[in-house]
Amino acid sequence: MAAYQTIAVLPETVARNLKEHRVTRSMRRPSRVYTDTTDFTSIDYGDVIAVEDRYFLITSYTKEGRFGVDEQIKPWVPKVVDLATMAHYILKLEFRETFAMRLGQFAVNCYRSPEKEARILELVQGRPHFMQGETLVDAVGNLVRVLEPVGGNRMDKVIHTGSSHRHYFFNELPAILDQFLGCLQAIAFLHGNGFRHGDIRRDHVFVDRNTGLFYWIDFDYDFYLPEKPFALDLFELGNILIYLTGRGDYHPREILADPAMGDPVVRSLSAADFSLLARNRVVNLQKLFPYIPDVLNNILLHFSAGADVFYETVEEIHADLRMALAQYPRETAR
Amino acid sequence: MSDWKRIIIAVDDSPRSINAVEYVGSIAGHLSGVHLCLLHIYPEPPPDYYQSGATLDEYKMDQEERAKLLFARAKKILQAHGVAPQAITTRCRIAGAQSISAAILELQTQEEYGTIVVGKRGISKAEEFLFGSISNALIHNGRDIAVWVIG
Repeated sequence: MAAYQTIAVLPETVARNLKEHRVTRSMRRPSRVYTDTTDFTSIDYGDVIAVEDRYFLITSYTKEGRFGVDEQIKPWVPKVVDLATMAHYILKLEFRETFAMRLGQFAVNCYRSPEKEARILELVQGRPHFMQGETLVDAVGNLVRVLEPVGGNRMDKVIHTGSSHRHYFFNELPAILDQFLGCLQAIAFLHGNGFRHGDIRRDHVFVDRNTGLFYWIDFDYDFYLPEKPFALDLFELGNILIYLTGRGDYHPREILADPAMGDPVVRSLSAADFSLLARNRVVNLQKLFPYIPDVLNNILLHFSAGADVFYETVEEIHADLRMALAQYPRETAR
Repeated sequence: MSDWKRIIIAVDDSPRSINAVEYVGSIAGHLSGVHLCLLHIYPEPPPDYYQSGATLDEYKMDQEERAKLLFARAKKILQAHGVAPQAITTRCRIAGAQSISAAILELQTQEEYGTIVVGKRGISKAEEFLFGSISNALIHNGRDIAVWVIG
């Protein structure tokens, strides 16, 4: 059981704001004040986390669902309000885990590292295309990351506008890829400073509701690939680009279910057209959507089982994508 | 081009590494003026290494102890082929922030070795993309040297 203090320790203004907050008014027990966040499972809705003279009231918890798995509460990532300024934040409390991530037939050792995220938050302060925040240290030395809440939606949700793929490709995708170029530059900046993003996924790019800017979230994962330290980031960037280009992932079952493609398209695919590591995901999207030009499709093919040349740096992907955008085709009458 | 008789043999605890030592021994044992450097480069510890309270110095000491065993075995093979003990040196280094192949090339450049010998793992394209191929990286990035890849 984590030790806590009563609200009597709170400064007067903070105590008043706590008393008047809707969360506190709906509670049957007094809030508890925690200065040690080690045992975060004991800290609950309505409690206060006090760190470096700041007081954060827990108002709810973030949830995470991933590709078919129900959303689950993340108890180490509470949503909070700063009781002095009443500004809203997301806290990330120290939670370490090590696990082997499966990538096709391979396993890569992954780690959750609060220190890494803290260093990246400091590095990317004020830079576009990155989630913003700062790191505070609790009474026993735990790193508490104070994140500015996301003012937008997941990129992979935003791109589904209901239009046909053809319309999407010619009219919507160029602006999306233009934003994605900024995301690539951001990852190149991390790599140039010796950091991996570590958890590049399409649901880890958000679109700012006001500016339309794409930005990365969640920097606490890391992986261990000593000879190819950035390979996994590169592969996942490729996966996002493939997803954006197709506006979805395509496996034989999705192709068969689409009356515009169906069995002829599936039969046209060879082993070389599938992903290098996820052997049932189609990478050669030109076979599904013939209007995708070579200059763009060739970027995708670098991530296919048929590839003989791989990207070594993000800058290489960025340069090729910029060229593909410069030569982007216009829609012609069918 | 640097002197090809100044040869780095990159060694680890794999059977292919022993093959590389055997191969070099079978050639170098018949040559004069050869200098062999048995080189063991090890990666930085994984990110969770320090959580148990272990230090980088402890990690390095452990790696160097392992390297001593590798070197002793390799020296024995080379000397059995007739290579003079004074023609063999040993080096053990951490790769630091760079890849193992880059660390090998760094030493090669600094100390003007003309040949690098490595064992070949025989990996798939997917493995090469994800985990890297030290031999391929040496071939692509080495300048003015010979790279011997021993299967």
